[in-house]
Amino acid sequence: MKKILLILMIALTLYAGVTEGDRAVDFTLSTLDATQQHTLTELKGKVILLNLWASWCGGCQKEMPEFFKLQSSYANNFEIVTVSIDKNAQNSIDFLEEVSQDLKMKIPFKTLYDPQKKLAKAYGAMGMPSSYLIDKEGVVRMVIVGSFNHDDIEALRQKIDLLIKQ
Amino acid sequence: MKYLVWIALLMIISGCSDHLVWVMSYEKEYFAQEKMSMAPLSERAEQEGHIFLIREASAGGDSSFQGGCGCR
Repeated sequence: MKKILLILMIALTLYAGVTEGDRAVDFTLSTLDATQQHTLTELKGKVILLNLWASWCGGCQKEMPEFFKLQSSYANNFEIVTVSIDKNAQNSIDFLEEVSQDLKMKIPFKTLYDPQKKLAKAYGAMGMPSSYLIDKEGVVRMVIVGSFNHDDIEALRQKIDLLIKQ
Repeated sequence: MKYLVWIALLMIISGCSDHLVWVMSYEKEYFAQEKMSMAPLSERAEQEGHIFLIREASAGGDSSFQGGCGCR
């Protein structure tokens, strides 16, 4: 019985994907407009909020304006990297432009594209949207499943400030 | 007997494996489409609601300018 429980625990741990304290899975992805490629490694030394989203996901639509404001309030040391898993990149582009027009702001963060959903699989994303706060050393410090509201963003901001100071 | 129970259990579990598919949240793009909702077309849903109201409740339409025949 103990062996079975042990096997089950190992299986569940493997299935759980990336958790707090794990090293962030590196990636090479192109931007939504397919003009550039970015890796996670090139952002080492910065605190990163990696956000997996899609234009069809209601929670993702809700939190996106908050990300615009959050990124705009940090000049350096912190970067939001959004990764769209839409089947059609144009849907993501259209949505981001819509938010951009509503807020009268340019898109202030990197917008990457992963139509094969490799990153969502590698991180074992259990919900949409899923966000990962990664420290300067590339270690995942916070996993957030579901959308942020204004209060959550304030709590996140405190955590970001703490990680920037470290 | 103990082995038979294990074999039976394995057979039951393996029987499920072909049919149960865990759709992850990031794979639900098609489920999120409007046509996947219970009432995919708003106009049609309105019409169906109107006919339902007349057939089931005999209320004579759901707005002031319609009659009770269920047709528009």
